[in-house]
Amino acid sequence: MAKWNKIAGCVLFCIGAVTAWSAATTLSMGSFRHPGAGFLPFGLACILSLLSLPLVFGAGKETGRAAAFWPERAWARPLQGSLALFAYAFVLGLLGFVLTTFLFMIGWTRFMERLSWQKVLFVSAGVTAGLYLVFVWFLGVPVPVGFWKQ
Amino acid sequence: MGELFGIFQGLADGFGIAFSLNNLLFALLGALLGTMVGILPGLGPSATISLLLPLSFKIGSPVSSIIMMAGIFYGAMYGGSTTSILVNIPGEAASVVTCIDGYQMAKKGRAGPALGIAAIGSFIAGTIGVIGLTFVAPPLAEFALSFGPPEYFSLTLLGLLMATLIGGDSVVKGLIMVVAGLLMGSVGLDPISGAIRFTWGIHMLQEGIDFVTMAMGLFGIGEILFNLERVLKTNLVTQKITHLWPGLKDWADSKWAIIRGSFIGFFIGILPGGGAVISSLASYAVEKKVSKNPQEFGKGAIQGVAGPESANNAAASASFIPLLTLGIPGNAAIAMIFAALLIQGVTPGPFLISEKPDIFWGVIASMYIGNAMLLILNLPLVGVWVQLLRVPYSILAPVIVLFCCVGVYSARNSAFDIWVMGVFGVIGYFLRKLDFEAGPMILAFVLGPILENGLRQSLLMSAGSPLIFITRPISGSLIAILVFFILTQVVYRLTWKKPGAPSGC
Repeated sequence: MAKWNKIAGCVLFCIGAVTAWSAATTLSMGSFRHPGAGFLPFGLACILSLLSLPLVFGAGKETGRAAAFWPERAWARPLQGSLALFAYAFVLGLLGFVLTTFLFMIGWTRFMERLSWQKVLFVSAGVTAGLYLVFVWFLGVPVPVGFWKQ
Repeated sequence: MGELFGIFQGLADGFGIAFSLNNLLFALLGALLGTMVGILPGLGPSATISLLLPLSFKIGSPVSSIIMMAGIFYGAMYGGSTTSILVNIPGEAASVVTCIDGYQMAKKGRAGPALGIAAIGSFIAGTIGVIGLTFVAPPLAEFALSFGPPEYFSLTLLGLLMATLIGGDSVVKGLIMVVAGLLMGSVGLDPISGAIRFTWGIHMLQEGIDFVTMAMGLFGIGEILFNLERVLKTNLVTQKITHLWPGLKDWADSKWAIIRGSFIGFFIGILPGGGAVISSLASYAVEKKVSKNPQEFGKGAIQGVAGPESANNAAASASFIPLLTLGIPGNAAIAMIFAALLIQGVTPGPFLISEKPDIFWGVIASMYIGNAMLLILNLPLVGVWVQLLRVPYSILAPVIVLFCCVGVYSARNSAFDIWVMGVFGVIGYFLRKLDFEAGPMILAFVLGPILENGLRQSLLMSAGSPLIFITRPISGSLIAILVFFILTQVVYRLTWKKPGAPSGC
């Protein structure tokens, strides 16, 4: 955990430094009398970098045996979940709401959760129909139709 | 006397609005949806509200929309306690104490009285909280009319720092979250000069980062990704739930806990920052202290459920006071209601009561009704909620992700927003992993514009002198409170030793 705190500290320090540089070079700083658009963001970015220093230099030191950040490939399922989400966003316009939602559910429940095909198809169809009813029929959300439009 | 008459008149008008069939239905829908999502393991009120935000925007009228949001907020609080009692998974920090004794009661076959006293205590405390809100809010709003930019800057700063210092374990991480939230709030058009800030050439960012997208990503998706790491074992209490209405002994044991919890919750809830969390902890500590059998705590003492549950509901009502009167949300869940109001074109603050009395009083009146609805509906519906808890997480997780995707898409009909939500989801996941609390960031994000306007306008007024924040009486008092608070926190953190984790959760 301490190692990851250090990494987080370094990332935050860099974000602060880049933001401060961007505020100083692209925005008007103004003065104390007439603060400009970059006045507060510049100050905040500097504070962010300063606050990240205790993390970089180990304020979050651990005592005793530290637990692993990702024990036993624990990163795999969150990674699969995020990829599924980004894939959904990517193909939504192309395949349309109904097909994308149905495929997303199949992908998640079958390949991530390893449910039986029977269950997968039943749940996927039910969830797709349910979401369609709530969002399209009840709330009138204009969801993408995809290539079906033609 | 005239003021009192004005309050009653306003409240009567508010009931007129809240009792319209339309608004009653929205309050009911909000309470039901809030409970339904809030009951899902691992989803606290903030996540619940963020998931349901897009739904509330689909309702045309701002009054109805906010009435529904308030219902969702209450429902989510209630749903969280049911999960704590039956599954031993606290939806959020405020419910941690409930699961200590609540789950023990459930394991002993007393889930019914635990759920019943939680609901009744929540109802009584929520109603006491709303009564307090009814009478405290109007004079406070009138007082706040004298606030200028320096007062708003000091108040916002006080709120943010209190939320940070009270809320989490690490002050540095809390402050980092606040600063990051303020920076994210500054993306887009500068409201004073019109300059475009930190858009990095992305046209969609000119309007700023969309609050709903950010909240759904950080709380909704982030939570799901975090929970995916481990198989969420729901140790659901399987006995039939009976005797929801507590018996005479349970009443006798818990009545004073409810009353004490209500008042503790109300007074702590007014303060910015973690109101519900601190009040439930404080109530638990007080109950244990005053109990004749403190050794029963942790083994299924009904006071350990009644007190904290009452306290966090009273705090939930009280947390509407700074929102409706000062325009300053005190915690992440209220910050979402604040953002929802802004999106509906309503600016909460001291002028709300005079400029939009229908919203001000309509919301307050609907809170009385919402509280009663939750009690009447949820006790008979407990069987339905238990069934919901039986749905495996392997099915719930993708459904929640899809709900977020369609919800966020529906706000602007933009698939780009799903990408942005996904990015915030990944950020939220890492924040959870690294013990950074997303709450202060959300709070800072919505308070950022108020803080910045207050700072810049104050410096313009004082020709660049920061002394303006100290020399004006109200602002100076707020800064003095802030300094005092920081000093007490420093002393407290230096002298306080961390106790072991409670055995129940």
